Amino acid sequence: MTASATGGRRAFLRSACKHCVGMGALLPGLPALAQDNAAASPLPAERFARPALETDEGGLWGMMDREETRLRRSPFVVRDVELNKYLQDLVCRLGGDHCPDIRVHVVRTPLFNATMAPNGMMQVWTGLLLRAENEAQLAAVLGHEIGHYLERHTLERLRDLRSRAAFAQFIGMFGLVGAIGQLGALAGAFAFSREHETRADRLGMHLMKRAGYDGRQAAQVWDNLLGELKITGGEDAGKRSPMMATHPPLESRRDDLLKLAGDASGITGAAEYNQAIARHRFGWLQDEIRRGQFEESLVLFNRLLARNPLDSQALYARGEVYRLRAGKEDLQESLNDLTRVTAFEQPPAEAYRALGLVQKQRTDGPSAVQAFEKYLSAAPDAADSGLIKNYIAELKP
Amino acid sequence: MKKILIASSVLVLAFLSGCMSITKVEGEQVVNNRMAVKVADAWNKVSAPGTKQPFDMWTQEGLTLDHLRLWAAVKPGQALLVHPAGSVPMGQKAPRVPTYEAGMQPDQLVSLFEVMYSADGSIVNMTKVEPAVFAGEKGVRFEFSVTRKGDDVLLNGVGWVSQSKGELFAATFLAPKLSFFPRLLPKAESIVRTAQIRG
Repeated sequence: MTASATGGRRAFLRSACKHCVGMGALLPGLPALAQDNAAASPLPAERFARPALETDEGGLWGMMDREETRLRRSPFVVRDVELNKYLQDLVCRLGGDHCPDIRVHVVRTPLFNATMAPNGMMQVWTGLLLRAENEAQLAAVLGHEIGHYLERHTLERLRDLRSRAAFAQFIGMFGLVGAIGQLGALAGAFAFSREHETRADRLGMHLMKRAGYDGRQAAQVWDNLLGELKITGGEDAGKRSPMMATHPPLESRRDDLLKLAGDASGITGAAEYNQAIARHRFGWLQDEIRRGQFEESLVLFNRLLARNPLDSQALYARGEVYRLRAGKEDLQESLNDLTRVTAFEQPPAEAYRALGLVQKQRTDGPSAVQAFEKYLSAAPDAADSGLIKNYIAELKP
Repeated sequence: MKKILIASSVLVLAFLSGCMSITKVEGEQVVNNRMAVKVADAWNKVSAPGTKQPFDMWTQEGLTLDHLRLWAAVKPGQALLVHPAGSVPMGQKAPRVPTYEAGMQPDQLVSLFEVMYSADGSIVNMTKVEPAVFAGEKGVRFEFSVTRKGDDVLLNGVGWVSQSKGELFAATFLAPKLSFFPRLLPKAESIVRTAQIRG
């Protein structure tokens, strides 16, 4: 794929809407965050009126409106009425009177992020939905985004960029659009200030607790993300990851969110959440595998399996990543996972394929053929059926 | 805001046009001194500034519309693409890139290209994978679709890959599904059919 000016401009437009959650960091604001009383957060009581077109805010809304028109047609948008209603209802519980002004779009991108534009366009990436463990964790992220929206942080950011001629940064980001990890860096270039992130954290906590969720789940979100960030960022990832450049250091952010959360009252909504994403989850796991960032994926899949060792989809995903990474002990680890998952009542067809490929590498021909035949029986029209049939022919005596 | 965006776009275009090298290729061409192909219709070879990629990239209509990538004699441990210099933030480890390893199975080779084309957030779906001969060696041919992240364009692609003496040889062709792919694929295939390993 080549970098394109179009892609760069779109990235800016997308970034102008928001930023966030997956990506944050801040230092000076933390004490204030820790001492704030969430219940005292002032929220705008009235819905926002559309700003006059000739103002800078009106111009920003116009840009975001055009971006939303494009987004509505995008093949990356997940068009699932039930999932969208679930998310829209969640946003309404968080946003209260502002609910009619916020429109949720689920975007198929295997990274942890959600964004919010000043015109009310909210994007939720599927990588976030895969990583959230329950409704409360998702509410923490979306509440944070709504916090930016309610305080018009994007407008302040735009004015700040203009006053500091920071568009040089914008130009510098062209040509970097390549690896998906760099999308985070691109996003980070236009991230909110630390002060904004701290305010959004505080408002998000207020909103999620007001909606009845367990506020401690907000801290868990960052704890979970930190594990993945350490793969490329090392032990200090929470302090200096580019994805967190303007957010508080993750460790202290987690601690301060815990203080704000207070007692353990509130729901997590795990069952409701699992049901809402069930239809799409396997596809999102496959998107995660396709990223090819095996170590990060293993952190995620290990976490999913620690929470539920009988999660057949996650077990397949981990076995597949071990197979693809093909390190020293990986073949055996893959064999262990795939053998387990294919013993489940209704394993994914892909698990038989992966098991057959592992057995073939181990030169266990009969076991490989058996697994391949089960794969083709479960998925006779599979794209790689021609190759698999050829493998079977080669392996059969 | 609009003026700033226009000015930015002009600067970017000036930057790109000033540094991208485009040369005409026709007749017999040799990729990486190891794979010869015969080019009936002229193509444009594009070399981006900065980091040298381990593949030749050719196009008929321009890189946003189509590209034919050719890899020759990729060694074990060598990546199929290289991150541009300076693209990895300070203090960060570079993300993994699809890397060829000795003895990879055909399905593993196909996965390398699947990951490569997914790397910018595009959606890649393999639609057909079957044994084939490429550059005179037994290998695999794969067809795939790409929903490109940068502009939402739907593309179709075809790839060919084989191994010889522990080295990888491959080609991929990608173009928008509508009009360009069916029109340009025969031109790409006519080149791929002539691929021969040297040495």
